[in-house]
Order: sequence, then structure tokens, then C-alpha cells
Amino acid sequence: MLARLLILAVSSLLLRPALAVFADEAWNIDYHYALLGEPQQDTTFFHQPYAGSRASLVYTLSNKGALGAVNPRDGSLIWRQLLASNGSTSTSTFLRAGENADVLFSGIASQAAAWSAGDGRLVWEVNVAGDVKDVEILELSDGSATASGSKDALVLSGSDSHALVQRLDGATGTVKWQHNLESGDIPYQVSASTTQVFAILLHKTMLGYYKIKVLSLDPVTGHKTDEYTLSSENELTSTDGIIAVGANSASPIIAWTDATHSVLKVNIIGTKQIASFNIEKSGEEAVQQIQIHAPHHSTALAHFLVHFQTATSHWAEVFHIDLKRNKIEKAYDLPKLSGKGAFATSTSDANVYFTRVTDGEVIALSSASHGVLGRWPIAGFGVASVPGEAIEPIRAVSELSIKGDLVSAIRTAVLLSTGDWILLREGTSVWHRPEGLAGTFSAAFSVPAPVESFVEKLEKEASINPVQAYILRIKRHIEDLQHLPAVIVTLPQRFISGFLGTSADGDIGSDSFGFHKIIACATEGGRLIALDAGAPDRILWNRKIGNVALTESALQSPALGVFSLAGTPGIGPQYFNASSGAVLPGLPSTSLAKEAADSDISQGIQFTLENGGLQAYDTNARQSALWSFAPMPNERIIGLVSRPVNDPVASIGKVLGDRRVLYKYLNPNLALLTTADDKAKSVNLYLLDTISGSIMHSSSHQGINLDDPISSTMSENWFAYSFTSDASPLAPKGHYLVVGEMFESLVPNDRGPLSATTNFSTLDLNPQPFTLVHSYQIPESLSHLTVTQTRQGITSRALLAVLADSHAIISIPYMALDPRRPVDRDATTDEQMEGLFRYAPVLEFDPKWYLNHRREVAGIKHVLTTPALIESTSIVFAYGLDVFGTRLSPSFSFDILGKDFNKFQMLATVAALAVATVGVAPLVMRKQINMRWQFT
Amino acid sequence: MASVRLLSLTLFGFLVGLATSAQLSVGVQSSQLLPNPSTLPPSTHAVLLGPPGIRYDVPLRRDNTFHFPDLAEASYLLTVHCRDHFFAPLRVDVTKSEVDPSQHTLTAWQTFRGNEWEHKGAVYGSAQESLTIQIPSGGAKDFYQARGGFSLMGFVKSPMILLSLGAVVMIFGMPYMMDNMDEETKKEFQELQRKQPLTGEEGAATQLQNFDLAGWMAGKSSGSSTPNTGGGGAKRR
Repeated sequence: MLARLLILAVSSLLLRPALAVFADEAWNIDYHYALLGEPQQDTTFFHQPYAGSRASLVYTLSNKGALGAVNPRDGSLIWRQLLASNGSTSTSTFLRAGENADVLFSGIASQAAAWSAGDGRLVWEVNVAGDVKDVEILELSDGSATASGSKDALVLSGSDSHALVQRLDGATGTVKWQHNLESGDIPYQVSASTTQVFAILLHKTMLGYYKIKVLSLDPVTGHKTDEYTLSSENELTSTDGIIAVGANSASPIIAWTDATHSVLKVNIIGTKQIASFNIEKSGEEAVQQIQIHAPHHSTALAHFLVHFQTATSHWAEVFHIDLKRNKIEKAYDLPKLSGKGAFATSTSDANVYFTRVTDGEVIALSSASHGVLGRWPIAGFGVASVPGEAIEPIRAVSELSIKGDLVSAIRTAVLLSTGDWILLREGTSVWHRPEGLAGTFSAAFSVPAPVESFVEKLEKEASINPVQAYILRIKRHIEDLQHLPAVIVTLPQRFISGFLGTSADGDIGSDSFGFHKIIACATEGGRLIALDAGAPDRILWNRKIGNVALTESALQSPALGVFSLAGTPGIGPQYFNASSGAVLPGLPSTSLAKEAADSDISQGIQFTLENGGLQAYDTNARQSALWSFAPMPNERIIGLVSRPVNDPVASIGKVLGDRRVLYKYLNPNLALLTTADDKAKSVNLYLLDTISGSIMHSSSHQGINLDDPISSTMSENWFAYSFTSDASPLAPKGHYLVVGEMFESLVPNDRGPLSATTNFSTLDLNPQPFTLVHSYQIPESLSHLTVTQTRQGITSRALLAVLADSHAIISIPYMALDPRRPVDRDATTDEQMEGLFRYAPVLEFDPKWYLNHRREVAGIKHVLTTPALIESTSIVFAYGLDVFGTRLSPSFSFDILGKDFNKFQMLATVAALAVATVGVAPLVMRKQINMRWQFT
Repeated sequence: MASVRLLSLTLFGFLVGLATSAQLSVGVQSSQLLPNPSTLPPSTHAVLLGPPGIRYDVPLRRDNTFHFPDLAEASYLLTVHCRDHFFAPLRVDVTKSEVDPSQHTLTAWQTFRGNEWEHKGAVYGSAQESLTIQIPSGGAKDFYQARGGFSLMGFVKSPMILLSLGAVVMIFGMPYMMDNMDEETKKEFQELQRKQPLTGEEGAATQLQNFDLAGWMAGKSSGSSTPNTGGGGAKRR
């Protein structure tokens, strides 16, 4: 088996040395943001990965269902597990860590699991019936704790009517006891004090109000010891009113409020008294949000902080619980400050500290008294935004170290309103992670504004009469002269860096290779974030956007230097300047004129997916469909791809080894439609001519796993699709990639029925293309397919595929997929000259095809490609959870000096040659003279 | 790791595997290619692909195993996805036991991509209800293409450079050698050189070099060209 793998790997190496990630380019030309998604308040904390560790990590279970550990020193991701496979969480998520424990407990959907905190490996996982409603740690040493010191987990699970509390062994996940809650109440939360386990249920009354029901259970046996109901029906009209159920504190509390946020009710779990506090009205403004911050350690003081937030200001109140008298008393107030604020709780031994983060300050307080322990002004969050936007902290977690009565160090991880997650050491921003990008649903490329204005000027010169154009050009050159001093100043620097090869390209203004494309990403968090593909370590700008349609094609670049964002139905698109992010009132007039010229086609055909079928309309007369394509009954359309809008073809034929030509079938109006039949487990593919609606090619595959991704793409005269199939007599179980290439005729030098025509209409004469198809078995499923794009299409194309299981993006050279690869025989000399080699049914993915190399690019949903200014290079950008981008030269960098070109070596060679010439010249001269004059 | 099709899985599990549950545990062996499996990244996971609708996906555990707790009766393809290492695909069949129909038999074979599904390789293990197998690494992944960079040895070893080095040695070394030769050998050597067909006295190259263009143009026959000794040099003066 090993030998087989090796042979395959070696053969793939020998056959295709082209297209690989070079060791000196990896990590340099590619960039990657390994993201988690926005951290949540209750599932983010500082924690030591193992007992006695000096450094702690920041753990979070994000809104994308990604569990990860981040190094607070530099913001790098230590490990990550994707718990929600589709990248979104529909239910609440839970993450808990016991004091001094090396295990984290997570709960998401129907899975409760334990993870090794140091390396992120799974310890155990348990699937429950229904959803996990809460996970809590039992901080209790009843002698049953295992030798490793791991604490047991409490899991509350169930649907609305049937609930279950389980105590799971911390080391193995086995159930120690379970308690059925058959009352029909809604399971809400589980909480543990040092002596008891409380299950909190919500009982819905006849009138639709909620009563809070508390069950106390014996932590050792799981038997019910008590049950009582709190009369919360006056306030609770929905579950949203419950603010917090404290867990694992010396005295867990439950707090709720009414719909208008006028009163705060707090109950110490285990007692029946309800403390009631009126919430002061903040002028005219209503309190929008109330949050409770309490320590999560049973040894810590029973103090908590209530955070009130209105639209324009925030304040907080600190309460103390008197454990002896079971009374809750207000200790002190934190002054009202304008803007949004975030609070975090941290503990040191038994002491509890609160950290307050506002837009200008970090303030540390002790829970015991209102004296400020430390106050650090924030110079700036260090994140990109647009001018005029106030950046506000949303939520924070903090870690303090106390020496004596002073705070010696404080680190606060803050989620900002821009979607960035930053770490403040005292008041200075240390790192930021653009977690907002994890929710990117649409992205687009554009060129920077300086490039765009230059293009405009050139176009203007080309369009007017020569004299005026000449004057314009002189003017432009004089304007350019103004930049001369600046250029001269930078000249030595540029020369040195060019000589040392430290920078291949300049900044965004002088982009000679077209690598500095601006990429805008529209995120689910309501932000539009722009990156520079040539300098990806910084974010250009980040702005808020209004309501938009969450579609993949929402963001477009309709003109150079402009992004347009499609609004929700009924609202027109918004326009943004690509370089600054400024809102534009509309499309620039020049580009409008251009658009008008472009659309000056007397007739166009538009096709859309409607009513489960494909409908095509005349753009001038939308009343009736020109043609429609209805899939077979039981079938549904699962995919539609057409050729890219910008898909230049350099050659209309393929030159064979003997210099004859096979003509490609190049129809710009082709679309590949994929339909699936859920009953028959089959997939059908139809290649349609979108003008006439006729089917040019079709294929059907049986025994398909429709839950696995079925992806397809088209370019030039070929298409590719991939699926996962069950074992059948015809094919083994596994994943397949099918590539088809269309020709006008399979006879070289013959164009078939089109030979006499220069133009043809598929409406009059519609010859069927000759399609060659090869299918390959591949090691894993491809969740997305796309094709590289270059400026003129001369460079050979590569198929880009997303490997969801391997967290990778690979580029498969077309040569390896060529449907003309000879079957059952070796390639002839002519075929070898074309680069064809014998067909093998298996296509192993060479690790050198991995664009991400050692990086793990997780959760990629979409890959975009765009041409650079130089022909050899295609710019690739992938988004989904992570953001990844690179430059790709499928035919190597033939028009640019790559990293392998050593300028120093070249100059040294020239110098050596010069020295040699000068040194050898007298010798040669003497020899020549001697030859003539010496006779022996 | 949350499986993609939990609902269908659970349903299927209820329908098929009510009696007992078939368990599969796959351990990663340490081998020469992978001395310490604990170095594998936490993202390493194994996928059991069953008939349409059934798929189990589990991450690597702390003890370097993949554990599938409850498998439905089917024929599965086991693929291990790892950032750093290849693993060969396996076929795992869960069938009703012939001895006791309430029990399951699990068997794992090696399988080959691009071959019929019935074409099985070596058996990795077979057991009732709970099967534990060990899989070795199929080799580390090498992502990087090294450039054919500049190396002095490679440069010196190229035939062109060797030839030119030889020439350099001749240019500088010959006069020195000639000086050190004793008179006898020197004479002999010069005699030998003179007789060489290309560069010797009557050699083609010498004749070509000493070609008397003017004489030829003047119609002198080649036979009567002046003897070369001394003549060539004198003429050119």
C-alpha cells in the first residue's frame, strides 16, 4: 500500500512538475486570517491550559461554532475545532473550564464534548437526544473525582417537553447519573453550588407568562431533593427577560427583568426570596440591555455587577450577596458614561475584580469598594474604520495580576463594533484579529482609485482629436512632474530594495503588476471590510452597512474603483469608493456612459432560476419567456454555472503535436445546470445554450450521495464537476471529478459544420459540440470549484478546488485533467509533445498543489479569481470562515522576475566576466603575437 | 465534531442499530514515517462514508484514536484527513453476524481508489461488535517545491565549465610544462605536434590560417604555395 502511494506520488511528480508552491514564495505571497468568528460573552475567557501553567490562553466558542485557543501575546491561533459543520449556530453554545483543569467542556447542538485545553484534541464526546441546553462544571470533590483531577460535567439537554440532567465523568464522558425531567417544562439552565445541583426550568402559564421552576438535585446520586417555583409571571413574557443564571459561584443567582427594563429581580438559587431593584430611568432614554457579570469560581466572593446600556450611555451597579443572611445588597454605583462600554470579571484568589472598557479608557476596580485600582487611557484601538465612525467596545474578557493593592498587569480582549477582536495590554492595543471577516457572505475585487483615474485619462485621450489629446498629454506630464521630487527622494531606497530583492512591488499607488487589487468583503455583522491583495496584513477600511441582501453576488464592482452593494428588495444598490470606503451618491458619470455603451445591444437574453426551473427572457420584452427549462419531476436544481463574464480565450484551437489544430467549441452563452433527484439518488447535468435553450450535452450519475457537495464550474470550452458516489458495479464508493471538453469537430484542421462561417447564431445553425469526457476518482470531496483567470487567457488555466475535509484549496493543472489523455495506451510522441500522458482513473492530489501549503484554511465557501496586470498571474481570494489569498502562476512567472532571480548573482557574474576579460586580454594578446613571431 | 447529518443519523441509528451498537476504534500507529502520532494536528479527523445519507466524522482523540461509537449496518469507506500525513483509504463493513443475528460483525480491509469496490486488500481486522484496528501513516506531505537554486559545485560540474577549465589549464600550464621539459622530449613533442592532422605543420587548420588569399586570387596554384615555415609570418608583416 505504501509502495502504491509512493508510486502514485512519484508518478504525479514526474509527470507534472508544473504549478507548485515554491518554498521561497510560501508564507510570502499568500496571506491567511485564521478566524474563529465573533467571540461570545459567556463562552470566552482567559484560562491556563494546564494546572500550574504560567501563561494563559484566551479560549472562545464563537458565533460561528468555532472553538479555539488564541495566544494573548500575539493573537495567533493555537488550535481550533469547528463544531458547527455548516458554519452557523442555531442554538446556544456553551464552553466551560474548571479551575486548574486541562479540559474544556463544550456544548453545541446535540453534542457535549470535552477538549484538551493544551492541544485541542478531543477527550470525549457524547451525543444527546434533542439539544444541549446547558453545560456546567461540578466543582465538587466528593471523592469520586478521578486521579487526573478532572472535574465532572453537568449537561442539561432535551427538547421542550422532555429534558434530562446528566452528570458525565470528566475523564471518560460516561454517565454517572441522569435525572429525567418529565414535567413538560422548558429546560433552561443548570447550575451548581458547592452542595447542590439546580435545574432551572421555565413553566409556561395559561396566559403565556413564564414561571421559573427550580429543582435541586443531589450531586452524588442525582435524586431530587427539593422543588419550588418563583413567581416571575408578572415580569416574564418571554425567555429573553432572563438576564443571567449564575453558575459555579459561591452563591448562584438568577436574575430577570420585565419587558420595559424597569425593575430587576434577583433570586439566590436555593432560597425563595426575590430581591427587587428599581432600574433608574436615564432621562428619556430607555435601557436597552442589562447584563450581569459574576465570577465563575465557587471560591470567589459572591459579588456581581449589573451593566445597564442605553442607546447613548452606560453605567453599572455592583451588588454583594450576604451568604449568611441570604440577602442581596447594592454596594456601589459606577458612574454613567456616554457611549457603549464593556465589562469583564476576573478573579484573583477569592477577590473579584471588574474591568470597564469604554471607548477611551480601561478602568480596573475591585468588587469590594468603588475605589479605582487603575486607569489607563486608550490611545487608539488600532483598527481600521472610516472617518467619523465611533468605534465602541461590545464585550470584553480580562485578566489581571495584582501585586499588593496595585494592578501590575492587565490584559483585556475586547470585541469592537468593527468586528475586530483586539487585546489591550493596559491601554495599548497589542494585536487585533478581524473576526468580522469570518462572516463574509460576498466579496469582490476592484482596482484602486489612482489606477482608475489614470485609466480614465488615457481613455479620454484616446477618444478626442489628436491635437487636443496631445495638449492633454503634455498637461498630464507636467502634472506628473510635480511628483518628481518625491520620486527622487525615494529613488535610493527603491534602488536598494530592488537590488536586495526585498520588495517586488511598491505601494498601492504605483502598482506596476496589478497585484494591489482592493478586495471588499460584506459581512453578516453588517460591515464592509476592504483588504489590499498586495499588502494583506492591514485592512484598508471597515465601514458599517445597512440592510443588504445576504446573497453571494450582493457585492460587485460595476466600474473601476467602485463597489456596489445590492440592497434588500425595493432599495437600490449603494455605491462605495474602493480606496476610501466613502459612500458615493451614484455611479460616476463616466462609468455610467460606459455602461450605456456596453448595454447598447439591440437584444439581450436574461435567464433566471424561477419556479424550480430556468426561464429565459428577452431583455426588451419581459412578458413571456423565450424558452424555459423544467427539470424532470422529482428533480430539483442544485447548481447553475455559466462561463465567467471575463473569460478571454487566446487561441480558438488546440495545436496538436503534429502542428494540426483541433478547433475548440467556444460558445460564450453556455451554462451548466445540475439537478438532483432525492428519491433515485441521482444527479443530472445539462449543458445548455442559453440563447436557444437547447441541450448541448447531458450526463447522469446514479447512486449519488446528495448530502456531500456537488460542485461545478465552466471556462473556455470545458467544464468540470464533482460528486460523491456510492459503490456500484460500475464504480467504487468515493469522490469523483469529471472533466469535459468541447470541440467543433474531433477531426484536426476541420471546423465541421461551422467551417464556412465566421459568425453564427445558435438560433439558426446549432451544431452540437463533440464532447470528450474523462472522470477521475479523487481522494476527497470538492466543495467548490472555480478556474484561474488571467488577463488575456494565454496562460494555461488551473482548476481551483476547495477541500472542505482537509481544510485546503488546491489548484489542479488542466494538463492533469485533460479529457484527451489517451486511455489504455501510452501517449504517442505527438501527444507527449502536447503534454498528454496516459489516463489513470485515480487523480491523487499532490501536496505541492495545495495553495495553502501547511496552513489550514477552514470553512471556505467561495473562491474568487481575478487577473493581475501581468499575464502570467491570477489573483486568488477565498472566503467563508477563514480568509485566504494568494497569487498563482499556472504556467510559471514567465513575464516577471520571480524570487528565484538573484540580482546579486547576476551582477556578480557580470563583474566576474568583466574581470576575467580584462585579466585574460593581455595573455591572449601575447599568445597571438608569440604565435606570429616565435618560430621554433 | 458535529456530524453533518445528525438527524438522519440518529433516525437511522434507531431503525437499524437498536439491538446493539457496532463500535469501531481506529488507532494511529507510530512508525518510521510518523514516530510520534501525538504530533498530529488536532484538526486530523476521520470520515466513515456509508451509503447516501450516512456519514460519520470524528476528530482525533487525545489517545491518538478515532472512535466511532455507533455504526449502522453498511459498507463504509474510511478516509483519514490530516494536514501533515497521508493515510491509505480503508473499507469497513458492518454486517449482521452469522452466528448471532443480534450481533454485528465488523471487518476492515484496505481498499484501492480506482479499483472495484469488491477488490479488497489486506484485512486490517475483524471482530464482533467492537473492532479496534491500527493504521500506519502513508508518508508525510511535502508541500514545497524547491527551486533549482545556484550551487557552486553544480556549476563547476557542468561539462561546459569543465571544458573551459581544461582550456584555461592548457593556456596557463602549457608554457610552464614546455619550459620544464628536457630538450629531447621537447623536440619529440614538437615533432608530434607538427604531425597532428589538424593543428600540425601540414594540418588543415594551419593551412587555413595561413591561406594565401592574395596568392590564390592572383591565380597561384595551391600546390606551389610557399612553404609555411617562416613564410606565413613573413608575409603578414
